[in-house]
Amino acid sequence: MAVCTGCSLLCDDIEVSIDGRRITKTKNLCRKGFGRYRSLSSDRSVPKVDGKQVGIDAAISRAAEMLRDAKRPLLFGWSCSTLEAQRKGIELAKRTKAIIDDTSSICQGEIVEMVIRGEIPTCTLDDVRNYGDTLIFWGCDPSSSHPRHMSRFSYFPRGEKLQRGHEEDRTAFLIDIRASPTAKILSGNFVQIPPGGDADLIDAMLAVLDGKIPRVRDKKAMIAMMNTLKKADTGVIFPGLGLAYSLRGRMDRLKALVDRLNEYTKYNVIPMVGHYNMRGFNQLLFDETGFINRVSFADGIDHGPMYSVVEASKSCDLAMVVGSDPISSLPAGIAKALARVPMITLDPHRTLTTELSRVVIPTALSGIEAGGSALRMDGVRIGLDPIVKSEYPSDEEALSMILGAI
Amino acid sequence: MKVTVVTFRDIFQSEAQELDRFGEEYRKMSAVVFLDKNDASKAGIKDGSNVLLESDNGRVVVVARLSEDSHPGLAFMPNSPWSNRLIPAETDETKIPSFKNISATVRVTSDGVPTVEDLLREMVS
Repeated sequence: MAVCTGCSLLCDDIEVSIDGRRITKTKNLCRKGFGRYRSLSSDRSVPKVDGKQVGIDAAISRAAEMLRDAKRPLLFGWSCSTLEAQRKGIELAKRTKAIIDDTSSICQGEIVEMVIRGEIPTCTLDDVRNYGDTLIFWGCDPSSSHPRHMSRFSYFPRGEKLQRGHEEDRTAFLIDIRASPTAKILSGNFVQIPPGGDADLIDAMLAVLDGKIPRVRDKKAMIAMMNTLKKADTGVIFPGLGLAYSLRGRMDRLKALVDRLNEYTKYNVIPMVGHYNMRGFNQLLFDETGFINRVSFADGIDHGPMYSVVEASKSCDLAMVVGSDPISSLPAGIAKALARVPMITLDPHRTLTTELSRVVIPTALSGIEAGGSALRMDGVRIGLDPIVKSEYPSDEEALSMILGAI
Repeated sequence: MKVTVVTFRDIFQSEAQELDRFGEEYRKMSAVVFLDKNDASKAGIKDGSNVLLESDNGRVVVVARLSEDSHPGLAFMPNSPWSNRLIPAETDETKIPSFKNISATVRVTSDGVPTVEDLLREMVS
């Protein structure tokens, strides 16, 4: 069995038939994961320095030189690298007195931090399958973002204590702006809110729990939902990017709701982390520094919003990007600032960021060409074994070579 | 016509992105906005029309698609370098960009949809 690194579910039941370097048949992959496996032979990156193709060693030594000379380097990305590579990345950040940040800085960071700090209770996806009888998908669309979430773990399976599955034993609600594919599955329990309406909805939910009349249009439906939530044996909330963005800077509201629900019964939170090992990076950096992202090693350990990729892109004098495409995923104005900075990029594929980088270091595809381990969205460690050989080093090997050359 | 742009993830677009960020398939899946049927009809926008979206931060031409579901005032765009043209570079104290709640205008245009290469060229201009 192989593991899919297409998202943070890290599905470990993938069957693959191989002929040399060619994958001839796969079983159990979702569409997104199938795309990841097919990408093995599509648009791979090649080693480059200043736009010219070079050998991998030349790209590594140029990267080491640039890092050695930089006064304020930013090391960004990390959520598509193994734990072993991330550890090397943190070591490199210390050695070069760099700012280090990952993609959680512009997405789920605030919620993941509360989970890692133990400020809100969490559980594993296996617990959800076996005991999670009342679920809230909030600002997410697992059918599109984590296509096997509902079938492997959360909604459809029959769990140890939930033998009648979703037909009788499980209730799931979806709170979202958009009538997404997941809303079609959960159509009877779809709570549609306006953009930015999450905090008001939480207030209404808390009002019902306090025995007050909620300020919503359909009061009856809201009261019925809260009664169902109160009766749960084991409840689980899955916050997605919709909730993360809508409540940014106000996560105390989510915590207030989770705390209040826990007065009735057990409620856990598992953020719908996107990239396959973002949770791993956040955990490693937290263990090392006490912070999950946005850390500077310029003078000991410092942390703050000024070390976010959004701010550091404007103030750094060099950016090393590992397994991420910030030129594509950042707002154009911020990407433009980053594009003015000399960049070194490690990536298995050609991306918008590799196109604008002074140095490109191609790497092996984790889980397919390179092994290691990663933390699933619920923090469970999953081992990755390579199934085909790569002509290029893994992230971990490339970072070790850079560390050795500095 | 004024709309609130909300970005989202689409599985077909994610698959296309895995395969080739510079390919036509990814552009087709990304450079698109889903509009409410009635909104579009009032603004003279047809399914497949090229439309210019403009926010305080930037502008981009994409293809309009009319949604089956009704969502007046809202325009849904797959998260991509095209939608990122509209997202403000300025952030609040959290330093998390506002990807899902952008005021913009939308109107029919005869201009073409930019390629990834066009977007990159503008990025370094």
